[in-house]
Amino acid sequence: METTLQNLFLGFSTVFTATNLFYSLIGCLIGTMVGVLPGVGPLAGISMLLPTTFGLNATSAIILLAGIYYGAMYGGSTTSILMRIPGEAASVMTCIDGYAMAQKGRAGPALAIAAIGSYAAGTLSVIGLMFLAPPLAKFALGFGPPEYFTLLLCGLVVLGYMTGGSIVKNLSMIVMGLLFGMIGIDQMTGYFRFSYGIVALGDGIGIVPVAVGLFGISEILATAGQTKRPEVLKPRFRDLFPSRQELRDSVGPIGRGTLLGFLIGIIPGSAHIISTFVSYAVERRVSKHPERFGKGAIEGVAGPESANNAASEGALVPMLALGVPTGPIPAVLLAALMVHGINPGPLFIKEQPAIFWGLIASMYVGNMILLLLNLPLVSIFVNFLRIPYKILYPTILMFCVVGVYAVNSSLVDVGIMSMMGVLGYVLRKLDFETAPMVLGVVLAPIIEVSFRQALAMSNGDYFIFVQRPISAVFLLGALVMILLAVKPLIGKKRGWRDRLTEAEKSS
Amino acid sequence: MTVDRISGAFLVLLGLFVAWEGRVLPLGNQSHPGPGYFPLLLAILLMILGGILVIRGSQGESFRALKWPEGGHAIAILGCCIFATLAMESIGYRITMVIILGFLFGPVERLKLWQVCTLTAVLGLGTFWIFDSFLKVPLPRGGWGF
Repeated sequence: METTLQNLFLGFSTVFTATNLFYSLIGCLIGTMVGVLPGVGPLAGISMLLPTTFGLNATSAIILLAGIYYGAMYGGSTTSILMRIPGEAASVMTCIDGYAMAQKGRAGPALAIAAIGSYAAGTLSVIGLMFLAPPLAKFALGFGPPEYFTLLLCGLVVLGYMTGGSIVKNLSMIVMGLLFGMIGIDQMTGYFRFSYGIVALGDGIGIVPVAVGLFGISEILATAGQTKRPEVLKPRFRDLFPSRQELRDSVGPIGRGTLLGFLIGIIPGSAHIISTFVSYAVERRVSKHPERFGKGAIEGVAGPESANNAASEGALVPMLALGVPTGPIPAVLLAALMVHGINPGPLFIKEQPAIFWGLIASMYVGNMILLLLNLPLVSIFVNFLRIPYKILYPTILMFCVVGVYAVNSSLVDVGIMSMMGVLGYVLRKLDFETAPMVLGVVLAPIIEVSFRQALAMSNGDYFIFVQRPISAVFLLGALVMILLAVKPLIGKKRGWRDRLTEAEKSS
Repeated sequence: MTVDRISGAFLVLLGLFVAWEGRVLPLGNQSHPGPGYFPLLLAILLMILGGILVIRGSQGESFRALKWPEGGHAIAILGCCIFATLAMESIGYRITMVIILGFLFGPVERLKLWQVCTLTAVLGLGTFWIFDSFLKVPLPRGGWGF
């Protein structure tokens, strides 16, 4: 405990410089804009803006990017409440009661409770992250190649199960991502694989062109040409304050949402989306008046919004402690850290405490900035929604091109982004989820190397994966997930995965 | 033909393609897997998953029922991406962006001329200033220095 507080003090001393506070502020503001604008999710936002951090030192860069991440998670609620359009998929549940409140003239309190819930959840989750990540990293120091391989395998299977839609399609997207990750020089033998003489492919396919292509460009391709101009409500600052009853009704949902969100966030998959579903269902079940849900219940805003923000910080636990991203956004954050010479994993916290604890401290500061600035500025943020889409999408396209080019100063990356954009567009039409593919690309080198090293260790004996206890537990986890996925194929009952798929489509 | 069957068939073909292309890579043996070992395993897995989609895909949505209303815009945007890939290093970032934005705002979206000129100039030149001049992220200038 004492060591943790000392480290936290180190983190705050890192963050409390004018420069880092400035970057935290800028990150939160940009993140909120990214979250507010439909079609520009946190993933595309972070990927596009990654090059803007190249001139910064590692600490400032990660503070800026983390600010964009949780700013975007918060910003998504604004459009959900004011327009019934989720800025990103995790805000789908907020639409239901948030928009109903807005129609009753209570948009201000809904926005305020979303902000307060996000702040409370964000801050409490950072405490969880602070206490959970270091011991997890210490535990992972004992992992060998078999444990890493089975951990990643289990993570990918869980991701396939937890992402909505068909499990077979999700698994095939993971495999396709892993295959894309095979392109380039083989790390163990130096062979060029699937690069067709293109030298720039030697280092493999970068995560940024893949993520921007699959999420940014494919979104533009799928939505360009829409002419519908949505009606935007504009709340005034004095209308933002919730009543005493609304505040009292929100305390329980915020607490439950935070706990659920943080725990679900650690699991691979669409954790931030799932956590909002679970939170909404729990609030409805524990409510004395469940009939109010769907008609403007403040609990229906407070719970899911808290869960969403807590999950986005819970997802950082395995990324920072194990170096294993649990979703596409942590994967891009991981790539961003690597660009700045930081390798998250068991040794990261020990070897670079100033950066780790600086990031933790920046989250406390960032959450406070989001609460203090975003509520008064909400009427300014909603103005972004008035920009016609025919002006917005060429602008986003330009940022995609410049963002991808600037990472390696490579036009091959721009070409990869374009191809991934077309692939993502076609895959969306064919009802495939593209998020698992991004994670496959990121994890391919680690999973392959640990697989080959494990087989070399055991002289080719596949039983090494079941003989070692930790490895066997991960394999068992993967098997359970596969069995759970197969179960609905036998019966015809609609499960939570079907509802998740519908919600994701509606966003 | 359903969407799932077409997708499954595509995955099987992709798996076959990877297995064919990977034949030049040494497979090694079980105790020392070579660079071709893991890609081959993945290709086989992809073919199996594709096969499952083909077998189970009889009840899905028909491929012909798919609508592509944004197709025209998508082709224009994709053309812009290809143009950026091919031209940016030879004619420079600013000229490339002015052409792309001018094309999208003008002929594609039919904005007024003054809007096209203003937006193109502000966005194309403004982002160059922000990234290249202010943030020191080098962007291509092309043969003419633009």
